Amino acid sequence: MKPMIDCDAVMRQMWDYLDGELTDDRIRAIEEHAQMCDRCYPHVAFERAFRDAVRASRQATPDTRALGERVRAALRAEGFSDPR
Amino acid sequence: MPETPTDDARFAAEALCWLPDVTRYARSLARDEADADDLVQDTFLAAYRQWHQFVPGSECRAWLFTICRNRFYRLREREERVVATEDADLEAIAAAAIHQSARQSGLSDAFERVEIREAVQAAIAALPEAYREVALLVDLHDHTYESASRILGVPVGTVRSRLFRARRLLQETLLTHARDAGFGASGHQPTPRGPAT
Repeated sequence: MKPMIDCDAVMRQMWDYLDGELTDDRIRAIEEHAQMCDRCYPHVAFERAFRDAVRASRQATPDTRALGERVRAALRAEGFSDPR
Repeated sequence: MPETPTDDARFAAEALCWLPDVTRYARSLARDEADADDLVQDTFLAAYRQWHQFVPGSECRAWLFTICRNRFYRLREREERVVATEDADLEAIAAAAIHQSARQSGLSDAFERVEIREAVQAAIAALPEAYREVALLVDLHDHTYESASRILGVPVGTVRSRLFRARRLLQETLLTHARDAGFGASGHQPTPRGPAT
């Protein structure tokens, strides 16, 4: 059975929804409600834009080659056989 | 500590492959790059010594993040501050109020219009520690609530409430930033309707 969703439920589950923490049925129900709701649609768009802006601020994956060698050397001193 | 070359091979394949992720996490915790690199080395040495405790098939990345976080607080000799229990539902309601306020100020699309990358980084760095660390794990390192819960050693409900509070604090800071940058004076622009996903 399709879960019943109203604006209050969307508001309370907004972050769980955007973080992918809900069941597929619940996600679909929220999306269907938001598509039809003039109150929830802009709210979802607002929170999604915020989430995307935060994600876009993350640092690039660092170049860890030198650090990796340093860590391996420290591990070898502990007895690590260092298979490559 | 691993006892055989086979154990070492498993450690290399399952743990060392996460060195870039652990480094990024350590740098977001320690902020100073040299301190963070020391923390990474300390983390992998501890992980190597405790490798027999790692449960095969469990999430090695989360296990390493847990060690990294514990070593970080131990090295800094800091106790995690106790934060009063928050209510995730109340935070969700507060988030809706922020959106309402942003709409009324013509800032409903501020996060798309304004260049806020540096402002986001500064705002995250300025968060109280308990909120900052959950935002780092979920928003910047893609951990699920469950995984963050294991790393932080707190219930999932606490992860949710702290995360939602962190986001509300970030939104307030970033909307102030957008206002100060001169956005929001031209009135509300309705969000164009498109796919909800």
